[in-house]
Order: sequence, then structure tokens, then C-alpha cells
Amino acid sequence: MAQEKSMAVPEFLSKAELIKQGAEARVYRAQFLGKPTIVKERFRKRYRHPVLDEKLTHRRTVQEVRSILRCRRAGISVPVVYFVDYTSHCIFLEDVVGSSTVRDHIASTQQSDSCKELVRLAQRVGQILSKMHDEDVIHGDLTTSNMLLRCGLEDGESELFLIDFGLSYISALPEDKGVDLYVLEKAFLSTHPNTEALFERLLKSYAASSKKSSAVLKKLDEVRLRGRKRSMVG
Amino acid sequence: MHLTHELELFPDLAVTQMLFKDVRNAAELRQCAVEGKINGALINPTMLVHPFQVLVAANKAVNLHKVGKMKTRSLNSEIIFNLLPTNNISEAFKRFGCSDGDDSVLVVLVHNKDESLLLSDITARVSGRQVPVEEVSSLTDHGKIRKLFKVTQEEEKCGTLLDAVVCRMAIKDVI
Ligand SMILES: Nc1ncnc2c1ncn2[C@@H]1O[C@H](COP(=O)(O)OP(=O)(O)O)[C@@H](O)[C@H]1O
Ligand SMILES: [Mg+2]
Repeated sequence: MAQEKSMAVPEFLSKAELIKQGAEARVYRAQFLGKPTIVKERFRKRYRHPVLDEKLTHRRTVQEVRSILRCRRAGISVPVVYFVDYTSHCIFLEDVVGSSTVRDHIASTQQSDSCKELVRLAQRVGQILSKMHDEDVIHGDLTTSNMLLRCGLEDGESELFLIDFGLSYISALPEDKGVDLYVLEKAFLSTHPNTEALFERLLKSYAASSKKSSAVLKKLDEVRLRGRKRSMVG
Repeated sequence: MHLTHELELFPDLAVTQMLFKDVRNAAELRQCAVEGKINGALINPTMLVHPFQVLVAANKAVNLHKVGKMKTRSLNSEIIFNLLPTNNISEAFKRFGCSDGDDSVLVVLVHNKDESLLLSDITARVSGRQVPVEEVSSLTDHGKIRKLFKVTQEEEKCGTLLDAVVCRMAIKDVI
């Protein structure tokens, strides 16, 4: 068989359920090898040079699966990778069945006014992020849409998953970790109004969970300050 | 007793697995595979946690076969190669291939969905007892697998051993 481009994946996806059309990727839900599966397909960007585009897209795919393994090794819940097709830039992942994004969870819980639960959730997020940073994984796109919450079946304890590692990279620098948290803070406070106190709890728990956290939080303060100065100038 | 799964990505193809215990002629079976009398991959089931592991390897092998990017010379050897977490072909055969003295063997066949597979052709060649494929988990050597795949204790807290194994198989090309 020649070096032809296989149509297997595109044909498979044409019958799958599209659940999100993003700027970089399409996300589908399907049955694969008998399991509920999420397929993330990174597509071409027409405005980019084809060779550069191919390189960037490949790199994102590779970064995503590498960080997933690194997190799993450290005991951080992230979806299992079942299959990667580097030709169509598709990652086939475990579907975290019955989960909702932390974003949706906070939005609906805020309405029902169950503060205690949200505080617990914020603390868990702080913990898991400090664990991730201790592994020197910088997520690169921390938002509450990139965290999934699955309610536990028996014990009622729910499980928190991190997803969407396409912009992730490895770094031990407190500055990079601080920026990671800054990105989350911006996204968190703009998505969820009046949650400054809740986010403080998240950071407190981050601080308490790692020995390296104080250097990171110091950087976070610096980055915040820079951000403010920039917005005063611009 | 056998397990057949149609490949979602390649709708005309299916993967069939058959498990045998108390096998007395592993060397002969290996010879049959070499000569093409058995057109399948012979696997050492003690290195398998679950039949899903084989499906992951077979799907990946078929995909690379279709685009001409296999690392080995045949689809059957590619399946065995894909079971290893690293990129050493002879190591893959040593760990996951059937060896002469083995007393259990898992046979993997990739075939056309509609092709009437003569499973009796395989059973007739094996001096041993066919058992349900799911029983593979009773043969699993967990210690060996943990060591080969370098699975951490932490990791098994957030997922199963199968999860850990599959994840490494799926992304070994970029690790
Ligand atoms: N493994 C998964 N299990 C369940 N839902 C998922 C999974 N991965 C992604 N999703 C859903 O798809 C959405 C988009 O996926 P994501 O990986 O964040 O892609 P994008 O880069 O487009 O944001 C998520 O916010 C989530 O709702
Ligand atoms: Mg996302």
C-alpha cells in the first residue's frame, strides 16, 4: 500500500457527534474500540503557511499527549489516550462520561447558593494545580472549561479531571507557573462574577499543597502588577 | 469463546482474539505463524491485562499499514511491536510474542468482516484448551507489566493498570 492519505479517520468523524467547534480544534463524541470516546481534531489554519501550520499542529498534538502521560504518572486525573493519528492530527481520548465542566458546575451551583460545596471544589482545584506544577507541567490554558467534574458513584466524592493540554509545556520556573495561575485568575473572575473570595480559597489551597508555592505566588503578584500597569498605559 | 470486534475506523475489518491454556505445542504454532499457515499474531497472554490492550495495538497497526508507515514488515508483527511501550522490535517479540515453551497463547487475527473465518483451522492446530478470552486476566503477570511499563503507584490511584498500559502504547512514538 502506497504512502496515501488514509480517509479512515475523516470518514469516521463524519458520522461522529460534533460537540464543540473551536478556533483550533473540533471535538467529537463517538464509540471507539467499544468505548465511549472523545476525539479532538486539530484542523488547518488557512492563513498560516502550510509547512508552518503542519509543524505547529503536530507540536500541539504531541504536547497534549506528553503532558497527559506526565500528569497521569503523578496521579493527576486526566483522560486516558487511546489512539493518536498524526496524519489527521486527531487524539482519541477516554470520554469522562457523566462529567460536566467546572464552569457549568460553578454557574449552576452559584444559582442554588451552595457556597460550601464551591469552596471545597476551589480547594480541590488549588491542590491539583499545585500537584501539576510540582511536576513542572505548565498547562498554558487554564480555565474552568478545561476542568471536568464527575460525581462519584458510591462514596459521593467527585473526581476532578484536567483536560486540553494543547498549549502545555514543561518548565520549572516559578514565573511560568505564576503566569499559568494568572491566566486562570483572569478567566475565572471574568467567567464567574463575584468570585474573588472563592478564587482566594483556591490560591490558599494551592499555597498549602506545595513547598514550592511561595515563589510561584510571589511571581503571580508581580505578573498582576505588570498587568495592571500595562492596562493603565494601554 | 473467541472475541470479535469490528474496527470502527476500518468498517470492513474485524479483530478476532482466541485464548488457549494448557498449550503443549507453542514451538510448532510459532513455526506455523512463520510459514503463514496461521495468519495471525501469537501473543504471550501473561503480558496482557485485558483484551482491550490487543484492540489498541491492532487498530494502530492497521492504521499504519493503510498509510504505509509500519515499523515492522507485517501487520502481525506490527501488532506485537505496538504492545511494547518502547521502540525496540526484538524486545517486543521477546516480551509479547509467544515463546517455544509457553503453555498459554492468545491468537489475534485481523480479517475481513464478512470473510467466514475458519476458527476451527486455528483450534485444530493448537494442542491445548480454548477458554473465553476474558480469562486472560487470570493469567496476567501484574508485577512484570508494572515494571516493563514503569507504572507508578501514584498512577494506579487515579486509574487502572490497563489505563496506564494503553496510554503508553498509544503515545510511545513521541515519548
Ligand atoms: N475527555 C473528555 N470527556 C468529556 N468531555 C470532554 C473531554 N474532553 C473534552 N470534553 C468536552 O469538550 C470541550 C472541549 O474540549 P477541549 O479539549 O477543551 O478543546 P478546546 O481546545 O476546543 O477547548 C470541553 O470543555 C468538554 O466540555
Ligand atoms: Mg478547552
